[in-house]
Amino acid sequence: MKLLEIEHLKKSFGGIEVLSDLSMSVSEGEVVAVLGPSGSGKSTMLRCASLLETMDAGALRFAGSTVAEDVDGRSVYVGKKEQRELKSIFGLVFQNFNLFPHYTVLKNIIDAPVHVQKRDKEEVVQEARALLKKVGLEDKEDAYPCQLSGGQQQRVAIARALAMRPRMLFFDEPTSALDPEITAGILRILRQLAEEKMTMIIVTHEIDFARKVADRVVFMDGGVVVEQGRPEDVIDHPQNERTKMFLQKMEV
Amino acid sequence: MITISGFRAEEMRSEMRQKRLHGKGLYRVVLFLLVLSVVTGIITVCGRKDRSVQAADGEDRTTFTLGFDAEFPPYGYKDDDGEYVGFDLDLAAEVCKRNGWEFVKQPVDWDSKDMELNSGAIDCIWNGFTINGREKEYTWSTAYIDNSQVVIVGAGSDIKKLSDLSGKVVVVQADSSALAAFTGEDASEENKKLCGEFEDLQQVSDYNSAFMNLEAGSVDAICMDIGVANYQIKKRGDAFRMLEERVSSEQYGIGFKLGNTELRDKVQESLNEMLADGTFEEIAKKWELTDCICLGQEGTDAAYLQDAGSKKDEPFVKKFADIVGRLSGGMLASLMIFVFTLLFSMPLGLLVCMVRMSKSAVLRWIAKIYISIMRGTPLMLQLLVVFFGPYYVFGMSVSARFRFYAVIIGFSLNYAAYFAEIYRSGIEGIAVGQYEAASVLGYTRVQTFWKIIFPQMVKRVIPPVTNEVITLVKDTSLAFALAYTEMFTMAKQVAAAEASIMPLFIAGLFYYIFNFVVAMVMEAIEKKMQYYR
Repeated sequence: MKLLEIEHLKKSFGGIEVLSDLSMSVSEGEVVAVLGPSGSGKSTMLRCASLLETMDAGALRFAGSTVAEDVDGRSVYVGKKEQRELKSIFGLVFQNFNLFPHYTVLKNIIDAPVHVQKRDKEEVVQEARALLKKVGLEDKEDAYPCQLSGGQQQRVAIARALAMRPRMLFFDEPTSALDPEITAGILRILRQLAEEKMTMIIVTHEIDFARKVADRVVFMDGGVVVEQGRPEDVIDHPQNERTKMFLQKMEV
Repeated sequence: MITISGFRAEEMRSEMRQKRLHGKGLYRVVLFLLVLSVVTGIITVCGRKDRSVQAADGEDRTTFTLGFDAEFPPYGYKDDDGEYVGFDLDLAAEVCKRNGWEFVKQPVDWDSKDMELNSGAIDCIWNGFTINGREKEYTWSTAYIDNSQVVIVGAGSDIKKLSDLSGKVVVVQADSSALAAFTGEDASEENKKLCGEFEDLQQVSDYNSAFMNLEAGSVDAICMDIGVANYQIKKRGDAFRMLEERVSSEQYGIGFKLGNTELRDKVQESLNEMLADGTFEEIAKKWELTDCICLGQEGTDAAYLQDAGSKKDEPFVKKFADIVGRLSGGMLASLMIFVFTLLFSMPLGLLVCMVRMSKSAVLRWIAKIYISIMRGTPLMLQLLVVFFGPYYVFGMSVSARFRFYAVIIGFSLNYAAYFAEIYRSGIEGIAVGQYEAASVLGYTRVQTFWKIIFPQMVKRVIPPVTNEVITLVKDTSLAFALAYTEMFTMAKQVAAAEASIMPLFIAGLFYYIFNFVVAMVMEAIEKKMQYYR
């Protein structure tokens, strides 16, 4: 089953076209890494998919349900209320974590499940503690974000996204604000999630990271998908010239 | 490893921060005590200075500076052309001409006249200045005008004689002869009794506001000098009427600094000459005061002949405690303005801020214009508009009780504009990522604001809000514009009555202590918010 479908997505900012005609889909249980140089539009694609930006043209579907349709070259979205319901299918982990600084770690994780999804507080707290253990922060539930390192904050952000019980997780450059040795810890958590068959779309520019965690690599450049396939094919035997150039630059 | 040591470092930093804060608190207490002792020292010196008023009037005097209340026609006031004119000013100009002095007209705030005189900023008070009751406060010329206190009411009023004033609101000018006639030490028993029967005896700073109050219906009668009353009734038409019965009779003289007989004698000599050659009567005729003049007549030189004796001395501590006691009502009034203004303006500011940031361009512009007007015009003017607006715009009569409400409404509307802009800057400083995280987690707009944005905004705006709150403490004194007797107005009145500047220093001390407490409370709140960054 396709959890995410994007068709003929177009997006411009102030007359400059960032995404010219992008289509991609992600099946349930798949882990997709989106690679590409900066300015290739990979983050914009993810922001459109997570409804932080509205598409100029194109269609968007979550698990077969329409979020936006293309009508005469313009995207037409469903109502705000429906959007909020459809949103619960995904979670997003930001590059800058975006934890709420005035809430403790535990409160960051449980607040939305309790007040947005209206779930039982006791149950959510139990689940949050299990998630904290999973990301290795079981002793930090009363800490405030400013007392945590970057890697710890990113792990809390992952736990916060998982607490909403999403069917897929988006990651926007999850390691680019972190030191290399901390990246390994995040990678371990992502691999564990992959083993549990969590559907994930990871926007990154770290080739190694993509190779180690992804089932499929999508290479973007100039607002379109240039090449995609298994990591060992795209990364080790690229067919497209632009892919080759990018990979060569990254190796230096 | 790295994360653990990072956490340790953070702990140490916060510990150091706390130590620094502790040190700062101690430093502030020391500073406070220092300022306190300096202020007390100044007050002590001022208290002593009160009695050493020995003037040295030099032989080579070239100017003569006359202090007067510029709103006291026909004795001294500003005419339609913006010139200071009046009977007293014409007399003084003639005196200066005869002595070869340059004549300087110096309008003074009536409550500060003694400070002006004692400091030498003015040479005399010459402005329909009543001798009766002030005999020992100044060195006097002989009396030159006989005046009486009369009562003015609206033409349609049912007040016919003095006894009808019982149960009514009467207004007088602050520190005027009319006030002294009712509450002064030398007030007659009948007047004291009558005054006790008033619903309220209010004080305003000038006759213009007294007449505005009478027109608006917030007072029932004005008590003032007969000369002024005749002039005002003539000028304002037949909307007002004078009671035939008089409150008191009194005489006007020229007041010099206690002990300055040298200057007084020169002025008196010239006046006597003017009386002899008819100039005095000529000037009186010009101002239609011939009925009142009494210069050179019998019974006008009692104050003139008295010995320039020294004033009675009171122990400093007793005087200090006495003045604090007399000012306590004003302190409470200031505190009330402060508390109620904060209570209303802070939430109102949030509302204005939300309108200012709304999606509708029309609403945004309305809020923008509101803020622009509130910040662009004086608070004092806004207070007058709030108080007199209902009468002048809608013809509603305003009650005396409305005075306090008008002060609170005016202050709250004004401060809300400032708070709105402070809140807006606080909200705009919050990273867009906070809104995005909330959006992805499915929070509604209302939830996002109250759970995520508002608490972070509060932390950000504490320093600018502290500034605004401290300004408010001092701004409470502006309530005098509506004759609402708060701390500072009262201090000025007591200072004028006591001829001492000690009440003003006590007022300053009050504001300082008040603000010191405010700053401590705000610092405590700020400290409490430091659990996150």
